[in-house]
Amino acid sequence: MKSNSEAILKVSALTKSVQLDEKTLELLQPVHLTVNTGETLAIVGSSGSGKTTLLSILAGLDLPTSGEVYLKNHPLHQFNEEQRSQVRANHVGFIFQQFLLISSLTALENVMLPAELANLPDAKEQGLALLASVGLAERAEHYPSQLSGGEQQRVAIARAFITKPDVLFADEPTGNLDTKTGIHIADLLFQLNEKHGTTLVLVTHDPKLAKRCQRQVEMDSGVLHEARLDNVNVEELSADMKVG
Amino acid sequence: MSELIVKPSKAWFKQSLRLLHHEFRRGELTIIFLAIVLAVGTVFSLTGFSEQIKQAIISNSANTIAADRVLGSSREIPTEYLDKSESLSLKVATKILLDSMVFSGDNMLLSELDIISEAYPLRGEFLVKMSLDQKVATSVGAPKQGTAYVEESILSRLDVKIGGTIEVGVLPLTIAGVIVEIPDRSYRMFVAGPSIFLNIKDIEKTELIKPGSRVYHQYLFAGERDDIEEFETWIKPQLNESQNWYSVKSAQNRLSKVLDSSEKFLSLASMLGIVLAAVAVAVASRRYGQRHQPMVAVFKALGASKSHVKKLYMLHWGLLSLISIIVGLVVGYLLMLAGVSAIESYLSLDESQITFKPVITAVITGLLCSVAFAVHPITELISTKPLDVIRGFKQNVLPSFGWHQLIPLFALFALLMLFSRDLIMSSSLLLGGIVVSGVLLLLGRLIMGAGRSAGAKAGKAWHLALANLKRRANENSVQLVSFTIAIQLLLLITVMKSSIVDEWQAQFPENTPNHYLLNIANEEVAPLQDFVNELGIDNQGFYPIFRGRLSAINGEKTVSFDDDDDVDKSDNEKDESIKGSSTENEAKQDDKEKPKERKGAGRELSLTWQAQLPMANEIIEGKWWEESDVSPQVSMESGVAERLEIKLGDELTFTLGTDEFTVPVTSLREVNWKSRQLNFIMIFNEAAVKGIDTTSISAWMVPEENKNQVYRFLSQYPTVSIMDFGSLMKQLTKMIEQVSIAIELILVLVVLAGSLVLVAQVQASMEERERELAILRTLGAKGSLLRNSVLFEFIALGAVAGLMASIAMEIAVFFLQTQVFDMSASFHFSYWLIGIFAGAGFVGLMGMLSCWRLLKLSSVTLIRRTM
Repeated sequence: MKSNSEAILKVSALTKSVQLDEKTLELLQPVHLTVNTGETLAIVGSSGSGKTTLLSILAGLDLPTSGEVYLKNHPLHQFNEEQRSQVRANHVGFIFQQFLLISSLTALENVMLPAELANLPDAKEQGLALLASVGLAERAEHYPSQLSGGEQQRVAIARAFITKPDVLFADEPTGNLDTKTGIHIADLLFQLNEKHGTTLVLVTHDPKLAKRCQRQVEMDSGVLHEARLDNVNVEELSADMKVG
Repeated sequence: MSELIVKPSKAWFKQSLRLLHHEFRRGELTIIFLAIVLAVGTVFSLTGFSEQIKQAIISNSANTIAADRVLGSSREIPTEYLDKSESLSLKVATKILLDSMVFSGDNMLLSELDIISEAYPLRGEFLVKMSLDQKVATSVGAPKQGTAYVEESILSRLDVKIGGTIEVGVLPLTIAGVIVEIPDRSYRMFVAGPSIFLNIKDIEKTELIKPGSRVYHQYLFAGERDDIEEFETWIKPQLNESQNWYSVKSAQNRLSKVLDSSEKFLSLASMLGIVLAAVAVAVASRRYGQRHQPMVAVFKALGASKSHVKKLYMLHWGLLSLISIIVGLVVGYLLMLAGVSAIESYLSLDESQITFKPVITAVITGLLCSVAFAVHPITELISTKPLDVIRGFKQNVLPSFGWHQLIPLFALFALLMLFSRDLIMSSSLLLGGIVVSGVLLLLGRLIMGAGRSAGAKAGKAWHLALANLKRRANENSVQLVSFTIAIQLLLLITVMKSSIVDEWQAQFPENTPNHYLLNIANEEVAPLQDFVNELGIDNQGFYPIFRGRLSAINGEKTVSFDDDDDVDKSDNEKDESIKGSSTENEAKQDDKEKPKERKGAGRELSLTWQAQLPMANEIIEGKWWEESDVSPQVSMESGVAERLEIKLGDELTFTLGTDEFTVPVTSLREVNWKSRQLNFIMIFNEAAVKGIDTTSISAWMVPEENKNQVYRFLSQYPTVSIMDFGSLMKQLTKMIEQVSIAIELILVLVVLAGSLVLVAQVQASMEERERELAILRTLGAKGSLLRNSVLFEFIALGAVAGLMASIAMEIAVFFLQTQVFDMSASFHFSYWLIGIFAGAGFVGLMGMLSCWRLLKLSSVTLIRRTM
């Protein structure tokens, strides 16, 4: 799927620093980034490089120290917690490494949750359809604890797509799964993404997964630059990253 | 910039209900639910139960004085009082109360004689059945002369039938009927025995009333309201300390005050269980908060606003509390019904009389538990940041110190106030509770710390168990305190029931008197003296006795306590008559009744005169008189003298009816009250008491084999009352039994609440335990090692609680022995073993049960779940 030229995410001069005792730790050096509607972007980088911090700010979960971030033209950097919640409810979907399903709710109820929060009609029908599309129609009434890791992540994917979000943020979506299941989940994610035309921002340190995105950027000690995975040996990078 | 469309979601309501439904079904809310149910159910049943009893007693006692007003007095009242009442055309009835032995053939029984005039009762009905199969009781007045109405138990205890004969004093009386209802029955703790009603015209023929006899007169008045009030205005200023004037209302007030205080005691004692239930709510709600953190973070990450989350959880928690409170009320109601049906045979209770008080008290308790103890975890939960979905969650972070910890303390205080309505009592209980918990915690930590070092030398499983115990010391401390208290109560009941009374009796010297003889006429002293000498029965001679009041000290009139009504006082007076002589109890009672300013003894004392200093008495100041001394003198017990601030040489004035005499204190005696001999606060010399009428009392040590012979001999002297110490002991044992029932009830509560706290704590530590077990499994630990380490951890916790409980029990028993029973303290090692083993067994079992699910998990599952 090709992206169109309209920017859905626009970041300029974004920084994030935290105060540790008397020292200021710069998590993000001024970051500039534009993501177009329908684009799939992988943010790669070693542990502690700042990629998750960037994701948090892009998704409106956290605020930058300085700089600007627009999501669907909403100035997230100026919004308070409640306003950012509303932006998330209307435009954002999430997939987490830890799946983060609500243990007291069934698979179907977990999927329905964002739709209910966004006041969408037919949450149940949509939820069932999405569960069917991730191959879990029969497990709709099961609780997360009754599902395997892969199944839980499939439920999480279904949950992420139910509101037809403009942007889907995925934080190491295969990080907690074995290789085979991981590939399966990635297939599913990209399939649904293509089907719904969603913009995908994916954080991973798996180069193979990153390579499936149209564009890759790399974080290195808080500095963001375009990564050219086409030109590097994926196996080599993969080895490097594990060391990192 | 695009417009932000704010669409407040209505989904919170649906989501909240859904969450509640699922969490209930999955048992996630069971602990909180049970804790609130326990607290509400306990409060409702106890408050409701005592309210029912109170209502029943008060409504049954609508005619509790059988008149409009009653004048109670230990002596006959001046005739002018009666003349005045006659002039106001009031109806008057007389009742004389007296405890005496009653005989039938070879059987005898100490009974309460109610000697009534024809006009009795002036209000209400005195109901009697003339034959046992009579369906409807007859309303009667005084029995005919020569007959008596008796309580039904007398028939079996004296083996006699209606129409049979009993001997009261020297007078044979025919039983004319069995009493069904007494309009002015008093509710006393100690009653000499069942009641016998006889006609006042028979009293002289019984020859029971002699000088010094302890009788209590009641004059009953009834009439038009205005007349009664006029009489009241006239008579009140003329009454002295030994006369009590009361109305139905003041009698009921007094009664309800007594009932209130017993209700208060029971409620306060059960507070322990409720406080523990509240602690269980606190622990469980903290775990609830932690468990829900990811949920809230995900909700927020997915776009839920703070108000959405807030509403969702308020409704969730609110419904949970509401359901728990309702179930608690139902459970409490059922418990109350069970309690009511258990005592129905003693009291006619009207179940429809449920008042709002227990419902309101129980609901407030439930709300306090569910709100105050959960407010902090829930507010923290609601403010969980959405960023946590990325950053991860804080697990098992111990609560930090802060103002929010004052909320549960305030709630506790409010709960205490709700029950006691007494600021000082509530504050001291709260502070005392904090101090006791602190001491127990400190001690527990020390023991657990010592256990940790010992464990290092023990086997692997023990090593792990004790290390865990010490590491979780903070979490364990609540359980430790609750189980310590539960086990201590258990031990205390056991020791009290099985040992203390026996030990107490065994500690008396062999020749300690076991029979007290009262009401001995002067002419009977010689034959009785001859009899004991002949049989070789140990005795301390015969003490002449008369009743009098200490009315002035050095010419300064003693002030008596001012009781707003006197039902209780008249009961006290009568209770004393079973105690016989002036005993330490009397002195202590005086002390209690004495207001802070310098007071006299307050009411009549049993006084005696002696030529020789009695045994078990020692002069510590002054000098005992010579037999030949002609100047009146009194010797006083030093303890009471100290309390009344009486010194050697002080002039004491005594009032006997209308007579007065004044004597100087010439010696102070120390009395060994433990000796169970006849002891007196005041002993006069003969010169002081010339011309005063007396009866005598004596204390005998009757060997078991001579008992029948003694009783047969004494039956020739029917007016002499015999008190068998054995029967007093029976009364004491019965009282301990009654107290034990109350303690057992509290014990059950504490054990239940303590178990809830334990399960709540175990659940709170479940994730941590899971991780630890997974690590140990990965490192190759065997299943048996893991199981044992968990088991031993709880066994050790229970054993520590048992040990501390044993220490606490021993301290409590020490105080009971030395302060209450006046005996030397003893050590109860076997009970320590019971305490330690019971604690280890119970806590071990509870702990294993609550960890069972965890221990059953296979290694693979365990590792997959946590890694």
